[in-house]
Amino acid sequence: MKIVIKLETILVLYLLTILWSCKSHYALVSSDRGKYSIDSQVPVDSSIVKTYWPYKEQMDAKMNQVIGHCAKELTKSYDLPETLLGNFFSDAVLAEGKKIDPSIDFAIPSTKGGMRNSLPKGDIHLSNVFELMPFENEMVVLKLKGSDVEELLNFIARSGGQPVAGLRMTIESQKPVNPLINGQPFDKNRTYLILTSDYVANGGDHVGGFKDPLERRSLGLKIRDALINYIKTTTDAGKDINAELDGRITKI
Amino acid sequence: MQNSMEESQKFDRRKFLKAAGVAAASLAFSTQSLEALAKEGDLHKLTILHTNDVHSRIEPFPMDGSRNQGLGGVARRAALIKKIREEQKNVLLLDAGDIFQGTPYFNMFNGELEMRMMTDMGYDAATMGNHDFDNGMEGFYKQLPHAKFPILVSNYDFSNTILKSSTQPYKIFKKDGLKIGVFGLGIELAGLVEKKNYGDTIYLDPIKKGNEMAAILKNDYACDLVICLSHLGYNYKESKVSDQVLAKNTRNIDLIIGGHTHTFLDQPEDVKNLDGHITTINQVGWAGINLGRIDYYFEKGSAKKIKAATQYQINNQLSG
Repeated sequence: MKIVIKLETILVLYLLTILWSCKSHYALVSSDRGKYSIDSQVPVDSSIVKTYWPYKEQMDAKMNQVIGHCAKELTKSYDLPETLLGNFFSDAVLAEGKKIDPSIDFAIPSTKGGMRNSLPKGDIHLSNVFELMPFENEMVVLKLKGSDVEELLNFIARSGGQPVAGLRMTIESQKPVNPLINGQPFDKNRTYLILTSDYVANGGDHVGGFKDPLERRSLGLKIRDALINYIKTTTDAGKDINAELDGRITKI
Repeated sequence: MQNSMEESQKFDRRKFLKAAGVAAASLAFSTQSLEALAKEGDLHKLTILHTNDVHSRIEPFPMDGSRNQGLGGVARRAALIKKIREEQKNVLLLDAGDIFQGTPYFNMFNGELEMRMMTDMGYDAATMGNHDFDNGMEGFYKQLPHAKFPILVSNYDFSNTILKSSTQPYKIFKKDGLKIGVFGLGIELAGLVEKKNYGDTIYLDPIKKGNEMAAILKNDYACDLVICLSHLGYNYKESKVSDQVLAKNTRNIDLIIGGHTHTFLDQPEDVKNLDGHITTINQVGWAGINLGRIDYYFEKGSAKKIKAATQYQINNQLSG
């Protein structure tokens, strides 16, 4: 009698085993989750340092050179219409662009997302500029008809403001209000010359208005090199790098 | 925005956990006893470690007064991973893409060092982010000899490109009897990466591909856990495919390790998928500032199996 029960049990177990074997053998019963902050409390694996050291020495030799001095930290934000870093970046690139082509009306040399790191207060090392602008993007000037400029202004407003120079506007309900270009009200009936990067001009970051330019020419200078030139020129003139919020883009 | 977003996540998650009946009060056993069971062999423990958007951050951020000063660094991450591997039997180390670009290490050495470091740390797999195309497909291809781990991506059709034999859609890892299926999903490249850098790559719908991959891994290969390495981004204001959209519109994905949006989630987010099961989303910021960790406990052939597929105990702390 006892043996029969045991056999039944074995049979049931056997059948269950067959059923289980068709699918997963394991049931997920629990999970614990967390994260580690990788800070100075964490010890260092010296074999890893040994591996990257030769690269570091080579890099530092080139990138540690000081090319200027920042009066204060220049930071960015996705949420603000205007930032210190955005103003510095676009003013610097526009200034360098105008040295090549003085007829440029305004500049949007990058999107907010294209500025990859802040500039610290104090010495500006070449590495800081590479971290701010790591991409190899080149400066281009596009001649746009008024309706395309309007599309670009709409994009800037819709996206909550972008780094610009030579352009002012107020954003209301994600629309541009009273845009001023070079101090003059925007005129839909004329054409404008806009400085940007080849990346943005080619449709990068979904910036509106650049699809159908009347003219396009390359200035033959990388955005990063324009920034480096601007910082070096400012330093040679005995000045610090600085930026202010001047209300070029405000939100209501 | 970041803060209010995180607040609303916390709230949503609490609501969801209630709805799914995973209230903390109903816990059958404490984490400590689970640990003990795992050691006795009744439970199998799997530890997932993950990063995303490391962006060539080999050394910690410099001490220059900026927000992230002193954080990150591969030498520390490597030491931490080594320590965890000494303590845990079953570890998977994964990355959700954007390995390249952000420090002069990339400008000078083109990603060679990033791949070598990840190989030395013992990464098990990574997916591709948009910035991994920054030196074109040739640029990525050139660094693959330094990457002794698979590049998983299922929704880029590379057939007509140099990368045609360089990636694979998924990989199944076997750990202590457990089968873990891992697949990759990449973001739409048009409008984000210059055409010349992605050439003839064909982008395929990540929801469709994700469902297809997860079904293969869960049903055909009977994986115990299905993980998606995603570079789609955590969420967007506009209606664009994201990890949240992916989680809600798929079946069979247990965990999405995300990237692209550099989102620092306070804790992983649990979303109800098409089957009403939990799909967990996690993302740990960027630049190797954090290392994410999720420990999963599995019970062998348990009668709880069917029940456990829809609900399991979740603790937002690590037990060791």
